[in-house]
Amino acid sequence: MGHIHIMDEFLSNKIAAGEVVERPSSVVKELVENAIDAGSTSIEVILEEAGLTSIQVIDNGSGMDEADALKSFQRHATSKIENEHDLFRIRTLGFRGEALASIASVSKITLITSNGEVGIEVQLEGGHVIDKKPAPLRKGTDMKVSQLFYNTPARLKYMKTIQTELGHTIDLMNRLALCYPEIAFKLRHHDHILLQTNGRGDLRQVLAAIYGIANAKKMVPFEGESRDYKISGFATIPEITRASKNYMSIFVNGRWVRHFTVQKAIIDAYHTFLPIGRFPISVIHIEGDPFLTDVNVHPSKQQIRLSKEAELMDLIEKTLHKVIRQSMQAPEIAEKKKKVPQTGEQINFWKSMNYNNTSMPQFNEKPKQEEEPTLFLGPFPQDVLNSSSNSGFVKEETWEQVNSTDNLAESKLPVEQDINDEEYVMPIEESDEKETKDPFPELEVVGQIHGTYIVAQSEDGFYLIDQHAAQERIKYEFFKEKVGEVDPNERQTLLFPLTFHYSADEALVLRENMTHLIDVGVILEEFGTNSFVVREHPAWFPKDFEEEIIEELIEQVLRERKTDIRKLREDAAIMMSCKRSIKANHYLNTQQMEVLIQDLKKMVNPFTCPHGRPVIVHFKTYEIEKMFKRVM
Amino acid sequence: MKFDIMRDRLLDGLNDVMKAVSSKTTIPILTGIKIDVSEEGMRLTGSDADITIQTYIPVEENGEQLINVEKPGSIVLQAKMFNEIVRKLPTNDVEFEVSEKFQTRIRSGKSDFHLIGLDSTEYPLLPELSEDNQFTVPADLLKSIIRETVFAVSTSESRPVLTGVHWQIKDGELVCVATDSHRLARRKVTLEHLPSEQSSVVVPGKSLTELSKILNDATTPVDIVMTNQQVLFKTNDVLFFSRLLEGNYPDTSRLIPEEYKTDVTVNGRSLLQAIDRASLLAREDRNNVVRFTTMQDDTIEISSNSPEVGKVEEQIQVSSLVGEELKISFSAKYMMDALKAIDGQDVVIQFTGAMRPFIIRSVHDDAILQLILPVRTY
Repeated sequence: MGHIHIMDEFLSNKIAAGEVVERPSSVVKELVENAIDAGSTSIEVILEEAGLTSIQVIDNGSGMDEADALKSFQRHATSKIENEHDLFRIRTLGFRGEALASIASVSKITLITSNGEVGIEVQLEGGHVIDKKPAPLRKGTDMKVSQLFYNTPARLKYMKTIQTELGHTIDLMNRLALCYPEIAFKLRHHDHILLQTNGRGDLRQVLAAIYGIANAKKMVPFEGESRDYKISGFATIPEITRASKNYMSIFVNGRWVRHFTVQKAIIDAYHTFLPIGRFPISVIHIEGDPFLTDVNVHPSKQQIRLSKEAELMDLIEKTLHKVIRQSMQAPEIAEKKKKVPQTGEQINFWKSMNYNNTSMPQFNEKPKQEEEPTLFLGPFPQDVLNSSSNSGFVKEETWEQVNSTDNLAESKLPVEQDINDEEYVMPIEESDEKETKDPFPELEVVGQIHGTYIVAQSEDGFYLIDQHAAQERIKYEFFKEKVGEVDPNERQTLLFPLTFHYSADEALVLRENMTHLIDVGVILEEFGTNSFVVREHPAWFPKDFEEEIIEELIEQVLRERKTDIRKLREDAAIMMSCKRSIKANHYLNTQQMEVLIQDLKKMVNPFTCPHGRPVIVHFKTYEIEKMFKRVM
Repeated sequence: MKFDIMRDRLLDGLNDVMKAVSSKTTIPILTGIKIDVSEEGMRLTGSDADITIQTYIPVEENGEQLINVEKPGSIVLQAKMFNEIVRKLPTNDVEFEVSEKFQTRIRSGKSDFHLIGLDSTEYPLLPELSEDNQFTVPADLLKSIIRETVFAVSTSESRPVLTGVHWQIKDGELVCVATDSHRLARRKVTLEHLPSEQSSVVVPGKSLTELSKILNDATTPVDIVMTNQQVLFKTNDVLFFSRLLEGNYPDTSRLIPEEYKTDVTVNGRSLLQAIDRASLLAREDRNNVVRFTTMQDDTIEISSNSPEVGKVEEQIQVSSLVGEELKISFSAKYMMDALKAIDGQDVVIQFTGAMRPFIIRSVHDDAILQLILPVRTY
C-alpha cells in the first residue's frame, strides 16, 4: 500500500536524459536540429573542452518570444507536431518534445532568443528557471549549455577523453553539414575552426570541406527516382576507398540515420569494384513521403523504418552501379615512390662482382613489332585497332565548383539564402554526356615488364596492365553467366532425404515463395511442423556440398524473396576465372598482348579484377613530364 | 576431309604435339590442334605462340599402310578433348570425317563422336626459316647438353634474357651457357660441320625442357636451324620451333676466375650424398645453406646448422686438397644441381676465397663447367 507513486517531473526528465543526452555530441545534435527546424541558414557551434565545459549554438532562425522560451524547457513541449495524425507525417527533425527538457535537467543553460520583435534571456539550472531578463533584438537563438552532467556524476564519470567526445561531435557536425549543404555550419573548439561550410547549397563543396578537395574531385553525383522514393548524392569512384563503413552517410528526409539495408545496397552497387574490406565514401539523400518512413523508433532517432524497402534498395543499387560503372577509369599515378633496393644474402653477379659497366645487357633497340613478323600473322583483327582511332577517351572536366572551394577560407557567413533543394542536385546533362563516352582508352601495346605487366600507350600517357588481373576479369565475365546456366531438371535422387528445420515465421515465408525454389530445382516437401525434406537435388550441386547449397538457396529466399544461382556460384566463377588465367611471370608476345587488351576493352567493367584489385593504371603524360621536370 | 588412321600412331604424334599446347593463352585458337591431311600424310600442329611442334605421319611407312586418305583437308580441334578421345577409343582403327561448318565425326568401333571444330585458316602459320645456318647434333648428345645447362636458367621474367640458354657457335665449338645470376652452367661441344660464321642465340629454357622430352636417347641426327627470331629442331617426323629471347646475353666469359687459391679433387657422388644429407637440416632454414670447411689430412667437412632444428657435420676424404685453408658457405641446391649435371664423376672444385665464385668441373675434361656464387654468412 502506497509503494507506487508518480515520479516528479525533474526526476523523469533526468531519466529521459539518460536516453537522449548520452554525451556532449547528443546535446549538439539536439540543439543544432532545433536550429535547423527553426529555419536557420547559418549555425555556429562553439565548444569548450569538447562540450563538457560549455556548448554554445548560435543560429539565425525564427527565434522565440518570452512565453515560448519558457515553455520550451517543459517536458512534451513542442512546436513541431499538433496531433496524432502529424506523427506519421513528420517533416521536422525533432518532434518528441523531450530533448530540451532533458538537457536542461542535467546542465546549466543560458538562452538568448528573439523573434525580431521581443528579445529575452533566460537562465536555468538543473531545469529550474533562475533568472530572466530582456535581451537584444537579434533574430535567432543563442543557447549556451554549460557544466553538462554537473548533477549526474555517474554519467560524467563515464565520459571518454576530450578527443573522443570531440570526435563524436565533429562526426555529427560533418553529417549535418552533408545533410544540409544550404546551411552554413561552423564548428569551433576553443580557437580552432574544425568545420566550416559556406551554405551555398552545393554538396560537393561540403564534401570538399570535410573529406578534402582531392577526394571530392573523385566523387561522382548520382540521382534516381522510383514511384515512391527519390535518391541523390555522391559516391567515390572505386579508386578511393576507406577501411571503414563510417564514411557512408545516409540521410532520409533530411535526417541522418543508420540503416543497415541501405548501406548494404550501396556496398552491393560496388560489387567486384572494391577490394575486400574496403568501402566507398558516399552520401545519399533519400526523399520519400514521410508516411513511408517511421522515425519514432528510438529517442535518438538514429534508427528508421522504411516501407517498400525492396523497391528502394533496388533503386539505390541500380542507380549507383550505373554511375560507378560509367565513372570507372584507370587510376592515375600522381607520385612516384622510391623503391628500396632489397638486400639478399645470396650474392648476385651483376650487383656485387667487379663485373660491370661494359656489357650489361642493353635490350635490343629494334622495335619489337618488327622483330616477330613471321609467327602468327593469322587471325588478328587489324581493323579493330584502326577503326576507332579517334579516341573517345576524354578526361572528365574537373568541376569548377570544386575549385571554388578555395574561397572557403575567406567565406563569410552568408546572411540569407533560400533553401533550395534543386541547388545541390548535380545537373543531369553531365551524366548523360558521359554515357556516350567510351571510358576505356585506345591502347597500343609497347611491351611487357617482368613477364607480368603490359605496357601500353595512348595519346594521353601510358598504362600498366596487370596481365593476370586483366584475363581474370575477362574470364570472370564469361563464367559469371556460364555458372548460372545450369539445368534444374537434371536431378539426383537421394537415398536418405535431407531435412531442414526452420522457425515458424521463416517457414511461412518459405511456403509463400516455394515457386522460386522449384524454379532452381529444389523441391521442399512439408515434413511435420516447420520442417521440410528434400528428396532430390539438381545434379550440378557439387558433391558433399548439397546440403550447404540448399541452405544457402533457402537463405536467399528468406532474405530476398528470390533465388539467384549466379550469385550463389559467384565464388566458383571467381575461382575458375583465376585458375584459368595466365599468371604473372609469363611471357607474352605482342600479338597475345594485343588480343588481351582488345578482349579487355569489351568488358563491362575492365578496370578491376573480380577481387576488386585494379587491372590498369594510368600514367598521364603530364605526370611523366613533371617527373622529368619538363614542366614545372 | 575424310580419312582412316591407326590410333596408336596418331596417339604418338599427338603426345608430342600436346607438349606445345597450353590451356592458358590469350589467343583462343591456340588451345586447339591443327590437323592437315594430304595425299602424302598427316601433319599435327600444336603451339603456345612460344613453342610450335609439328609432327608428320606418312601414309605409308615400312610397307605398312598407316593412313587411308579419301579426301584431304584440314581442321582445328580442341586439344585436350581430342587427345582424351583418341586415347580412349575402343579400337585401333579411327575414322575421321569433317563435314560443313567444321562438324567433325570420329568413329572407332561402335563409338561415334561428333565434335565442333574450328576454322583451320585462322590457325597461325608456321614460321618460315631459311636453312642457311644449319648444323646437326645427335639426339642423345643434344639431350645431355640440355640436361647439363637448362636447370641453371632464371625462372623470373624480371630479366627475360636470363630465362634462356645462350647458344654460341664460335671456332668450331658450340658453347651453351645458362645462368640465373647466382650460378652458371657451361657446356662446350666440338662438332663437325658447324657453320664457320660466328653466331649466337638465346633459346628459352622452357622450350629446351619440352624439346628434351620429345627427343629419344638414340643417336638419330637432329638438324638445328638458327635464325634471328626462331630456332628449329628437325628430326625425322617432328619439327620443333621455338621463339628466341631478345636482348643481348651478358658476356659470361669474364665471370669465370682464372686463378685459384684452393683446389679440391673429390668423388662427385660421395660429395653429392653428403650435401644431400646436410641439406636435410639446411632446408628448414630458409636459404638451404651448407658450409664447406677444409681440414687437415685431405679431409673436408660439410656442415649445416639450423638453430631451432639442430646441426649436422660430416667429414669426407678427398683425393687431393691443395692450397689455402677455406671456410665457405653455399646453397645446397645449387651445388647438388651442379654435381648432378656432372653425373657422379670425380670432380675438381676450385676456390678463390670465401667471397669469390668457385667452379666445379670433371677431372677428365672441362667440357662441363659449373660456377656457383657463395652465400655471405656473416
